[in-house]
Amino acid sequence: MLTKLVVGEEKTMEHLEREAVRYLGYGKHAVDERTLALVAESFADLRKVAERKNVYRIFALSGDGEGARRVVIGNLGIESRNLSKNLRGCEEAALFGATLGVGVDRLITRASITDMAKAVVLQACAAAYLEEYCDFCQERIAEAMRLEGKYLRPRFSPGYGDFPLSCQEQIMRMLDCAKKIGLTMTDGCLMTPTKSVTAVIGISTIPTPCHRSGCESCQKTDCAYRRDTA
Amino acid sequence: MRRGTILDELGKRILIFDGGMGTLLQEKGLGPGELPEVWNLERATDVISIHRSYIEAGSDIILTNTFGANALKFHDERHALEDVVKAAVHNVREAFLQAGKTGYVALDVGPTGKLLKPMGDLGFEEAYAAFREVMVYGEKAGVDLIHIETMSDTYEMKAAVLAAKENTDLPVFVTAVFDERKKLLTGADVLLVVSMLEGLRVDALGVNCGLGPIQMEPVLDELFAYSSLPVIVKPNAGLPKSKDGKTVYDISPAEFVDEMEKIVQKGALVVGGCCGTNPEHISLLARRVAGMEARMPQKKTQTVVSSYGKAVMFGERSQVIGERINPTGKKKLKAALKEHDIDYILKEAIMQEERGAHILDVNVGLPDIDEEKMMREVVEGVQSITSLPLQIDTVDKDAMELALRVYNGKAMVNSVSGKQESMDAVFPLIQKYGGVVVALLLDEDGIPDTVDGRIAIARRIIAEAAKYDIEKKDLVMDALAMTISSEPRGAVVTLETLRRLRDEVGVHTVLGVSNISFGLPMRPVINAAFYTMALYSGLSAGIINPASDDMMRAYDSYHALMNLDDNCGNYISKYGGMTMKTTMLPIGMAGSTAADGINGNMVASDTGSANAGTVRAGFDAEGHGHGRMTLRRLIEKGMKDEAGLAARELLAENEPLAIINEHLIPALDFVGKGFEAGTVFLPQLLMSAEAAKSAFQVLRESMENDAKSGEKKEKIVLATVKGDIHDIGKNIVKVLLENYNFEVVDLGKDVPPEKVVEAVKAQNVRLVGLSALMTTTVVSMEETIRLLRKEAPDCKVMVGGAVLNQDYADMIGADFYGKDAMQSVYYAQRLLQGTGTCAMPHDVRPIK
Repeated sequence: MLTKLVVGEEKTMEHLEREAVRYLGYGKHAVDERTLALVAESFADLRKVAERKNVYRIFALSGDGEGARRVVIGNLGIESRNLSKNLRGCEEAALFGATLGVGVDRLITRASITDMAKAVVLQACAAAYLEEYCDFCQERIAEAMRLEGKYLRPRFSPGYGDFPLSCQEQIMRMLDCAKKIGLTMTDGCLMTPTKSVTAVIGISTIPTPCHRSGCESCQKTDCAYRRDTA
Repeated sequence: MRRGTILDELGKRILIFDGGMGTLLQEKGLGPGELPEVWNLERATDVISIHRSYIEAGSDIILTNTFGANALKFHDERHALEDVVKAAVHNVREAFLQAGKTGYVALDVGPTGKLLKPMGDLGFEEAYAAFREVMVYGEKAGVDLIHIETMSDTYEMKAAVLAAKENTDLPVFVTAVFDERKKLLTGADVLLVVSMLEGLRVDALGVNCGLGPIQMEPVLDELFAYSSLPVIVKPNAGLPKSKDGKTVYDISPAEFVDEMEKIVQKGALVVGGCCGTNPEHISLLARRVAGMEARMPQKKTQTVVSSYGKAVMFGERSQVIGERINPTGKKKLKAALKEHDIDYILKEAIMQEERGAHILDVNVGLPDIDEEKMMREVVEGVQSITSLPLQIDTVDKDAMELALRVYNGKAMVNSVSGKQESMDAVFPLIQKYGGVVVALLLDEDGIPDTVDGRIAIARRIIAEAAKYDIEKKDLVMDALAMTISSEPRGAVVTLETLRRLRDEVGVHTVLGVSNISFGLPMRPVINAAFYTMALYSGLSAGIINPASDDMMRAYDSYHALMNLDDNCGNYISKYGGMTMKTTMLPIGMAGSTAADGINGNMVASDTGSANAGTVRAGFDAEGHGHGRMTLRRLIEKGMKDEAGLAARELLAENEPLAIINEHLIPALDFVGKGFEAGTVFLPQLLMSAEAAKSAFQVLRESMENDAKSGEKKEKIVLATVKGDIHDIGKNIVKVLLENYNFEVVDLGKDVPPEKVVEAVKAQNVRLVGLSALMTTTVVSMEETIRLLRKEAPDCKVMVGGAVLNQDYADMIGADFYGKDAMQSVYYAQRLLQGTGTCAMPHDVRPIK
């Protein structure tokens, strides 16, 4: 587990705000000042209440070769063409979990009683804040791996493409998420606290020169929130 | 009650727990993600040999291999839970036999691995039932004690302790996981955990896991400072590091034991190890602490109330108990309770916290409502939006018990009195659930009019409480304020009673301050003066209206004057930059709920700030406001506070309906269309909605005063479906529907189909809106629709949510798919009001 992480606040603030505004659906439209003020206020609130925690563990990976639809991480078998593609050429995979903590959920619940606009903005800012944190953690894992001559693939989460959400339970169990970082799930495989991520990150001895990460690599190109078309 | 002999030994000698289990099982081949509990049956020999190695190392207490053995976590088709528990207990007994030693078998009870409501989907009772099941099996199998461990949520801890206390006769030990910030994952600190567990009458408490013995020191310092109970310490073997793909710990067993020795010297009575510790650690530990002195901790005297995330300790600084959630004399709250308007109550809670309250009184007693049900709902609701501790205020014993049960933390309870009947009813509840109880200084003969009389009752209450093992620290005396309009010496007696309770009886005090002025004019004037005097006489906590400027000024001034506000820091930060306005303004300017009569308003001197009180005057019906914005424009701009003020201004010369027609409706129409066209975005749409709401509230008050509120609103039921906990979409739709004059019956999130049907039938509702985020929960949506079709075929259903689209909506049988919140509004308008067509986009399908 990585501890005492501090995201370089100043450098990332502009990026965070831009991402939050994108999540709010503004696309290329100019953002009004009042919304921007809410965004800034929301990030300040989030910094106060978020208890960011993460956990990761590395497992051996086996798959069924080219064009496969099934991968096995540790002893977890996953039927997913998309994930198989994502992990092609990897010998290992890191299971990763991260959360902003339950305080953020409480903050949003509270805002939705008094000020729904604030609640919506908080929601978007929290999503951006979480992504930023995951990027940061992933970078630290990448650094550790580089020392061993290994490279990371973009992270891939259950629920995306054909990577079944039902894998969530086993992934959380393998990471001991509940105990380690307080990340649990509901009967419907939704994560609690809600501002949380689990993901698989491929590890390979071969660097992949230029891979698109996150939003841009998604196949849903008509999405209103898409980064490159927005 | 049968008590295990372990309680006889506790405090007489240092007791040794075992060490880590998981690591040793993994060494023997347990795979990641595999259920360790299955090994009790399938690999019993391995489990026994691990137990035996700890027994031979010197452990007095061995934990059964049942950490995850509860129905919520243990999902295995081959083995029944009872068999697993039985085998686990047998394995420990067998290990003791094989080693030729005696010791204690502790049933290991870990967390459920799920988050409890309101932030998760696990109900308190479900958690309780899961714990009860394994504990009953454990007692039946013959364990000597229950050890609830690795807890990171106070609510789950409470469910587990109640399950143990109510269903077994076994001693109960509890340990929690604290991090470097000295907090649990859910935010509780050491003081909070100690006070709650002591209230629940566990037998020993402490820490395990999370940190090594060195990092635990700050946590342990607080633990020893606050706990009157024996302390258990089970650290990890150090801080974990990854080395060659394996987890290793940063200190050696010898260093571990050096640290543990210090911890025992400080007062730990039960010690062992958690992750990474093995028989070597325990063997060294047992030898090192053998013969070290053990003694029970001293009784501590701090008075503490808490929630899940905040502990309030009574002391020199006085606490503000917010009195606004109590229907007595409050018309709006009464109406909210009758109409089941929980949001109104939650807003009152937030307002009081923002105004500076430390504890919130919760009283929902009204003749025509089900107080038990309402109390539970309000306690849970308020606890979902604030971490302030609550004061459960009721005369209904059943409501009190239910509230104490579902409350997350150690509550304050209002009240008990010197009447025998009252003490007989209330003290058993405090003994069972814990709590700090307000004791009214009156008895069968009424309220004594002398100080001596009241002090005598206080002493009798303390003596009676002691019979229930309730200490003086958990009693707070209400010195009783009697109005001076009928009791000329009322204030004098009360103040002297406060002083003597503090100086002679040594107990904390509470007072419903504003009672002093009943029947007098300008009540805030005298209330504030009396409050200051009461504080000076030792009042530990005043039950007041935090929205009253007069009272909060008295409070802030008192603390500044008494050197209880460092360098007047709080005073300056609050009042710096303000000037005194000598005019008396009408009510309501300091927030719509601050119905406190007359306020000598203070305003910020910097008129540029966005303070509610600063935007003043200059609006007229046509909006020619000397360059200021019209109400319509303010709503379009989403300026909430200003919109409310502007509406009030307009009311001076305009009819409410005219204002609605000329300002609110055009403004909402404008932003609604802008949203459709993609020029106005969601935050702006909602800011406008909030601004319109704020203006409408002002207008509604006026209409109610004119008795013109006869208009019946159409009701719409909204729910986030079962299994789904993402309710932001539903809440957006709610705000907008309310804007368009619909009454929303909000059932919340994770709502079972039956509850939706029940609400629809009970209130004759014609439209239901359902929300779901994920494909996994759309299934519940479909199920809800199916049940609605059967039970309430005339009711239409609109659906929305991230994964939905028109095809999906058609597939599950919905009448309408709202791709965004405005579409739902337009649909509701067409269906129920026969309007809304003007703003309808072209692509909306006709109603089926």
